[in-house]
Amino acid sequence: MRLVLLPLLLELALTGCGGPRGDDAADRHTLVVAFGADEFPLTTNRERLGRYPLNAGICEPLVKLTRDFMVAPALAVRWERHEPGAVRFILQRGVTFSNGAPVDAHAVALTLARVARSRIDFSFLADSSVSVVDDTTLDVRPARMNRRLVDQLVHQVYDILAPGSDPARQPVCTGPFRLVDYVAHSHLTVVRNERYRGERARLDTLVFRFIPDETTRTLALRSGEVDVIFDVGRANASALERAPNLRVVTAPPGAVMVMYMNLNGAAPYKQLRDSSVRRAVATAIDRNTLVQRVLGGGSAALVATVNPPSVLGAYSSLVQGVPYDPLAATRALQGRRRSLTLIANPSSIDRATVEYVQAQLAQVGIDVAVERLDAAAYESRLNSGAFDLDLELPSQNDANPAFLLALRWYSRSSTRSVAFTHASPRFDALVERALAATTDDDARRAAAEAMHQLVDVEVGAVPLAGVSRIYAMNGRVRGFVPHPSRLNQDWNTVWVAR
Amino acid sequence: MSGPEWLARRLAGAAFVWLLVSFLAFSLGSLAPGDPAHIMLLRRTGDQPSEVEVQQLRHQLGLDRPFVMRYAGWLSAATRGDFGESYRTGQPVFSELRARFPATLTLALVALAVGLIIAVPLAVVSAAARDTAFDHGARLVALAGVSMPSYWLAYMLMLLFAVQLGLLPVSGAGGVRHLVLPALTLGLGSAASVTRMLRATLLDELGEDYVRTARAKGLSGLLVLTRHVLRNALNPVVTVSGLRFGRLLGEAVIVETVFAWPGIGRWMVESIYDRDYPAIQGFVLYIATVFVVLNVAVDLSYRVLDPRVRLASPVPSRR
Repeated sequence: MRLVLLPLLLELALTGCGGPRGDDAADRHTLVVAFGADEFPLTTNRERLGRYPLNAGICEPLVKLTRDFMVAPALAVRWERHEPGAVRFILQRGVTFSNGAPVDAHAVALTLARVARSRIDFSFLADSSVSVVDDTTLDVRPARMNRRLVDQLVHQVYDILAPGSDPARQPVCTGPFRLVDYVAHSHLTVVRNERYRGERARLDTLVFRFIPDETTRTLALRSGEVDVIFDVGRANASALERAPNLRVVTAPPGAVMVMYMNLNGAAPYKQLRDSSVRRAVATAIDRNTLVQRVLGGGSAALVATVNPPSVLGAYSSLVQGVPYDPLAATRALQGRRRSLTLIANPSSIDRATVEYVQAQLAQVGIDVAVERLDAAAYESRLNSGAFDLDLELPSQNDANPAFLLALRWYSRSSTRSVAFTHASPRFDALVERALAATTDDDARRAAAEAMHQLVDVEVGAVPLAGVSRIYAMNGRVRGFVPHPSRLNQDWNTVWVAR
Repeated sequence: MSGPEWLARRLAGAAFVWLLVSFLAFSLGSLAPGDPAHIMLLRRTGDQPSEVEVQQLRHQLGLDRPFVMRYAGWLSAATRGDFGESYRTGQPVFSELRARFPATLTLALVALAVGLIIAVPLAVVSAAARDTAFDHGARLVALAGVSMPSYWLAYMLMLLFAVQLGLLPVSGAGGVRHLVLPALTLGLGSAASVTRMLRATLLDELGEDYVRTARAKGLSGLLVLTRHVLRNALNPVVTVSGLRFGRLLGEAVIVETVFAWPGIGRWMVESIYDRDYPAIQGFVLYIATVFVVLNVAVDLSYRVLDPRVRLASPVPSRR
């Protein structure tokens, strides 16, 4: 939002004649964090209170996602492929839920069965997928072959809840915090879980306040009403960096801005079936300028992959990306002007980016009609294939390197829009190889090869920029280590200096 | 026209307007693209529903019945406070409205009071001191107040009272302190328009014969203004305040979003973005009901405040 700058600049000017600020006398064992709008009351999130899309540290899954998108032990200390299609998990002994009940294989089985019934899982779990071997051992066998199961189980959908716990009102789990108060659209409060199995949280109380407006969040930080704010806009971040006693923290890239192409559309949206037009589109965009000038540099990076490069490890170098070459773009169009329709996800793509892409394509002879849509209209257009180009910012929240490829370009994906974006049989075969890989290394290599096929060979998508989340906090906040995946942000290491 | 006859006609008119709005609100949901059953299932699971599931839910919701029957059924349910279930939250729309409306109503009422407390003395002094520096200043302030976007004013008030002076909280709800800034934001805009209107009316009244007579009788300027002129100028204030109150409910959409105030404003914005038609229909009908009741109340208040309206005309008029 551009409007955020005006009040901030005025405030900076007024700082010299400022009066008393903040609540220095407040209990510094409490951290107040301003989040955006409260989405827990939404139907899709109703059973994920305190877990998704805001992870308050109440719950934990069997395994967790590291900052470099690897899987690490959490409630499960180890896991192994047990028989074809099954993974055996060994649970940590002596762990209890925050209510004192023991964490055992039966509790895990109950949780995973509930996830399977709720239809929100994406790992092909069924009611009968979990077999309890003994109190600390269980086998998980998805209804369909899924070798990326462990990569997927890091997601908060698979958090383990205490038997009888109500995930919509009072989730009882094993995380470093436990829920004590939630008022919809106002706040969610958690306190330290004294029964936590690991190092206990340094904070006594952690309060998440829901403040939908970004400028208001910023002013709440400046007034001392909150200590940390989520989702700082790029323009806002540079103003905050200049403010005294405040700190801006940028996470490693956890999302990539991607331009999807309608590869299988019907008239009038079928021009991108022609690979030379797709290549012209890809070579027409100067992504470096987009990153440095439009996206501000600090929170954006040049990437060639459609998900954060660290997900692919060293194999990310297999994907080169299409270089900027406007002359080649013009030549590919053979002097013929084209008209394309672009839609953009209204919740994640800003107007400046859309206008930049539009201007870049116009320079090589591609007129882009931009349709500004609300969320429902956008979803409808995407699912009906009424677009040529689509700008989105998908996040990576699990360790599966083929997650986005399988979701958006794999012809057997359950996603509706894949009818228009699915790539070639060769790409499908590579994705299937990644999904069936028995080692992480093989999965990463196969995913990188599939991405190379998609981005470099078929030019079925254009990765525009790696994008990071930005947090701002007052200078007394310590121990905050930003995770590229917001859903995996830890709060138990955070504290406030007196 | 007798009082009861006038009242009956007024209520009939109000009922017609209410029915018309209800029809338009229902048509909006029915004519909009997308199958409500499909959207509802999609929101519930985040997954594409099967055709069988969609048809089952369509039947369950009565969406396979003709339009007129659906409208009649919806209206009948709405009169009992049943606006259906929100697509976004799966909760009854009426309970969502009932939970949020008190916060919006409180905000709008306090803002109206703030507006009047500022506007009436300002307009009186401004009219009494016509063309003085104070009058010019007051008019300038009123003009600025009318022209200022509420979100901008909101940020400026936050900067001053919360960030610089540390006197008030930036956002949220929970006590009188939280109400001050949003009410002031809404109230200042309201004060500006009431000041302009009341000042103009007072100046008109000051030119009337009865004012000259009162002054000739030796009454002081202040007494004439407050006891005679202001009373006669209050009818338009009542009208504007009634209409202004309706506008305040609308303007609250922005102010509630900026201040994270837990009213119906932000809920409505999100419902519109998500095409949550039951919520939109319920909101429109709910607000229409408030407007219609307010208008009837304003008309009735004329007859209470000004005996000339009772005696002279079925159409309320100032003189």
